[in-house]
Amino acid sequence: MESRRRNEFFVNLRRWFLLPSWLWMGVLFAAPFAIVLAYSFLTPGVYGGVNPPWTAESYRRLIDPVYLWILLRSFVLALAATGLCLLFAYPAALFISRAGRRKNLYLQLVILPFWTSFLVRTYAWMFLLRDTGLINTVLESLGIIHHPLPLLYNDGAVLLGLVYGYLPFMVLPIYATLERLDPTLAEAAADLGARPWATLFRVLIPLSKPGIVAGCVLVFIPSLGAYLTPDLLGGGRTVMIGNLVQNQFTTARDWSFGSAASIVLMLLVTALLWIFLRRQSEPLA
Amino acid sequence: MNRRVFLLGAAGLASCRRDTRPHLNVYNWSAYVAPDTIPRFESEFGVRVRYATYESNEEMLAKVFTGNSGWDVVFPTHNRIQPMRDYGLLAPFQHQWLPNLGNLAAQFRAPAWDPSLQYSVPYMWSSTGIVYSRAAALAPTRWADLWDPRLKGRLTMLDDPEDMLGACLKKLGLSFSSTNPSDLHRAEQEAIAQKPLLRAYLNAEVRDQLVAGDVLVAQLWSTTAQQAIDADPRLKFIFPAEGFPFYCDCAVVLRESHRQKLAHQFLDYLLRPQVSAAIAEATRTATANGAAHALLPPDTRDNPTLYPPPEIIARGEWPRPMPLAAQKLRDRIWTEIKSA
Amino acid sequence: MKRWLAAYAVVFYAFLHLPLVTLAVFSFNSSRFTVWQHFSFDWYRAILHDPQLLEATRNSVLIAIVATVISVSAGTLCAYGLWKRGSRLLTGSLYLSLVTPEIVTGVSLLALFQWAFRWFHWQLGIYTVVLAHVAFSIAYVVIVVSARLRTIGPSLEEAALDLGANEWQAFYYVTLPALLPGILAAALLALTVSFDDYVITSMVAGVDSQTLPMVIYAMARRGSSPVINAISALITVFFGALILISEKVRAA
Repeated sequence: MESRRRNEFFVNLRRWFLLPSWLWMGVLFAAPFAIVLAYSFLTPGVYGGVNPPWTAESYRRLIDPVYLWILLRSFVLALAATGLCLLFAYPAALFISRAGRRKNLYLQLVILPFWTSFLVRTYAWMFLLRDTGLINTVLESLGIIHHPLPLLYNDGAVLLGLVYGYLPFMVLPIYATLERLDPTLAEAAADLGARPWATLFRVLIPLSKPGIVAGCVLVFIPSLGAYLTPDLLGGGRTVMIGNLVQNQFTTARDWSFGSAASIVLMLLVTALLWIFLRRQSEPLA
Repeated sequence: MNRRVFLLGAAGLASCRRDTRPHLNVYNWSAYVAPDTIPRFESEFGVRVRYATYESNEEMLAKVFTGNSGWDVVFPTHNRIQPMRDYGLLAPFQHQWLPNLGNLAAQFRAPAWDPSLQYSVPYMWSSTGIVYSRAAALAPTRWADLWDPRLKGRLTMLDDPEDMLGACLKKLGLSFSSTNPSDLHRAEQEAIAQKPLLRAYLNAEVRDQLVAGDVLVAQLWSTTAQQAIDADPRLKFIFPAEGFPFYCDCAVVLRESHRQKLAHQFLDYLLRPQVSAAIAEATRTATANGAAHALLPPDTRDNPTLYPPPEIIARGEWPRPMPLAAQKLRDRIWTEIKSA
Repeated sequence: MKRWLAAYAVVFYAFLHLPLVTLAVFSFNSSRFTVWQHFSFDWYRAILHDPQLLEATRNSVLIAIVATVISVSAGTLCAYGLWKRGSRLLTGSLYLSLVTPEIVTGVSLLALFQWAFRWFHWQLGIYTVVLAHVAFSIAYVVIVVSARLRTIGPSLEEAALDLGANEWQAFYYVTLPALLPGILAAALLALTVSFDDYVITSMVAGVDSQTLPMVIYAMARRGSSPVINAISALITVFFGALILISEKVRAA
């Protein structure tokens, strides 16, 4: 009898284990969202904060060419960053998966920059791209150009920053999928007469689709909500949704509008994640 | 093993930060004190000062408007003082704790925004104009010159809605603090027309780029421009012909502060002639303290960028506080300009 | 094709590492600009003489350690609990917190704190930053530890149960030690993510909680570059060393 009661206690132990996480997620994730949702339906106060009455005014203001343009631009930039990441990451992942004994070393070398500060890596590009930065100085001293190229403070610089920052996120899932592929498949294709490029495009890429999709999601979503990269590398000229939200919560002190923009961004992100999760049979990790 | 080590380490770190001196929390613009200003105050009064900096009034107001930000002393620009007062953020001064108030220069003893100096102490003042390099395609003399296509790619404007729109308004011959919607929309069109010529919207960070030669012409505050000229004397600063703003950053004590007396003592300390002169010399800013001004070396005292002569002062205007509706319209216009 | 791939790999790794290497190299340049003047430790010395910088570093370290301890504890328990009995809601919300843009997390936590402060007369401070960091770290910890749990499999624990241990003993004496590499990896990840965070921290930081990324950002915006080069080099070397050491420990 006693041992059965003890067993029941330990069955409940599993529930207790989950309790801290429920608590944290409830307080630090669900509650903030509920508050932001509520704020988005209130009226902005004089110098910030929100007051009743309840209104959908903030959402109405979002449906304005200016803000829709910002949304579109964020989308396009994120899409471009994802595409470029895919283009650069796939060959690298392929190389690592075929590297034999040194696989781990090469993988570590990819992950290493990720471990250093994102802010520092973004700043590094500011340092490189400036008119008096390394790239321009080298090109000028080689005589290739005579005036410095305006490499910083434009959409291109922002794109470069995004790609650089999220490249490891694309390499890792693709590598994981490629590594698990049966190497005899590629051999079989070769035996059947396919040249290496054909094998790549008609066998490897389709088989590594789960990794590609995972990588794209891991790059696209943070790029969509990027804030630091357009802020530092865009020179105040590139406004993405992340900048808009930050601006409304600080400089413009219009919390309900900022909240509305945040909710819209979250809805987009959730929708994308939902689509992704339904098409995948196995989870991310 | 590792968790216990972590916990011990955290406890150790937490305990070694204990500091029983009274605190004062000061939030100021960047590069607005000399290296020894704060340490001297700390040692003389036996307190610890937590000093942090910001780059714009909005950044400071966003933290302060909540009414419990934790800051004791902040430095808003003069036209933010009335709204802060109306919103109940400022503590009225106890003048018996501010004996050095008489050190202020004559024009700042009874300023328009606070005639009896009840809430604010003028600290540093500046204006906004144009700084340019000799290598620029033309030598600007008016705001309209900044729309010249020959400057394309080497020109920046301030990342500040008030200054940027203000420049556009002055170019059109309108008032710097205009609240008229049609005026503001015309200014918006000007700004959007200029945007393709701009390298970027930059604040103080353009100083290094001017010195390096990346940027040839910039809309900039006079004090920041002077710092650039110090590093490269070939740069020149001009006050545009159509008109320009004057700003005065003032020290205020927040109502939420629990250390009113200490805050007053800090303000009084900043009003001492030697302290203010040391700050003005180190940071190359223009002090509102008349007694300190007299202590400065002649070439700084008469520097036309920092302390312009009366005929130039007559051409400038002091921006007024912005009513709420106009502020919202300007915010929206600013977002539209930035995302155009 | 192998040759193409190898050539590409060289370019790829150069692209990845060049910016950081450049920063490190130029942190020893006495000139502010990219023209090499002479070798000097000036900028490193400047770091030591900047009290704001040193305090910010202390804050960052303290916050990172405390946040890591909390999120690793809660996250490990969560991963184990989810492994035994899944919960779609919890898993879903963990994934969601992972993909939420940082700015949205930041403003929502700010809104939460400001709303709570209407009742308690508290202020933003180090504790709000710690809470915020725990909020976004837990998901990382859960993922890493879950992966490790899947690798271990249930067989070890089942063997312990068969031998007469109860559930708690099986967890504490068998599973937990086997999980240790995963927990360490998760701790390292949480530490790095917390130390590096700018966006969320800047929104919820208070008077006493300036962190290193906030100081770096302010410097980058103000344009005073060379000191940042030195700080960046130090951060890179520190975390690089941490990773390499952890790899050696894991391989051993």
